[in-house]
Amino acid sequence: MLIGLLLALLAGSLVGLQNIFNSRVNERAGTWPTTTLVLGLGFLASFLIGLAIEGKRLFHLEHMEPWFWFSGIVGVGVVVCMVNGMKWLGPTYTISIVMCSQLFFALLWDSFGFLGLEVVPFTMKQLVGVLVIGSGILLFKFGGAREIRAAVASREEA
Amino acid sequence: MKGLLFAFMAGFFITLQGVANSRISEGIGTWQAATITQFTGFAAALLILLFVKEKRWRGFKEVKPIYLTSGALAAIIISSNMTAIHHVGVTLTVAAVLIAQLSLTFLVDINGWFGVIKQKMRLPQFIGIALMVIGIIILKF
Repeated sequence: MLIGLLLALLAGSLVGLQNIFNSRVNERAGTWPTTTLVLGLGFLASFLIGLAIEGKRLFHLEHMEPWFWFSGIVGVGVVVCMVNGMKWLGPTYTISIVMCSQLFFALLWDSFGFLGLEVVPFTMKQLVGVLVIGSGILLFKFGGAREIRAAVASREEA
Repeated sequence: MKGLLFAFMAGFFITLQGVANSRISEGIGTWQAATITQFTGFAAALLILLFVKEKRWRGFKEVKPIYLTSGALAAIIISSNMTAIHHVGVTLTVAAVLIAQLSLTFLVDINGWFGVIKQKMRLPQFIGIALMVIGIIILKF
């Protein structure tokens, strides 16, 4: 339980860091060169770490199913939607909606055991927890003080 | 309205990717899953890159080299995310990821790291993060 939470916190911090670095590259090189570079390096790093840890077993794909090959392409959907969301709404609104939507689908799929997930029964507690987190996100994003950055970022996007 | 739909779908895709990756790693292993999904994503992006008009390759040279390497972090992000979903489910994982993500952004903002415009600490952001932590506690306990 604790290890799961700690790993999620680690992942989230690195996502935050990656977003900042990527936006620096994006300003200069544009969306698709940046996306290609980021995914290419992600692949290379995963491959090398995998090779170091698993050795030859990295190439053993016994329980491979055809759809496994297509999951990575979802990442392209993420980029297209983010770029277009930012274009219409600017960063503050877009990121707030994206985060709330992430939480919404997480709760939905946990409740239904989507893709063979272990079902986490839907309770009032779950709903209240997610709503409180959602309001935290909105307060964080719209609680003033971040207007300057939002304005700068949207100019960078344009 | 259009923007709203795009943002909503972005959230859908991000969570979908987390769940799918976690499922794939159960089938073939964590590093195998991270390698394959990053590779197919890379191939798809490369294909799109070939068709878009604007290719600002030279832009890479204008960026500090350290910023170019952030893609490699994905190896740790993806493997941690998959393992977290196995341990605590999707909702808690996503919630914790978002808290850490916003906290880091906040830390960078108030310190003005990485060329970000420095900002003063404000109460709403602290309360926002506190609310998110309370939300996690409600979810789990």
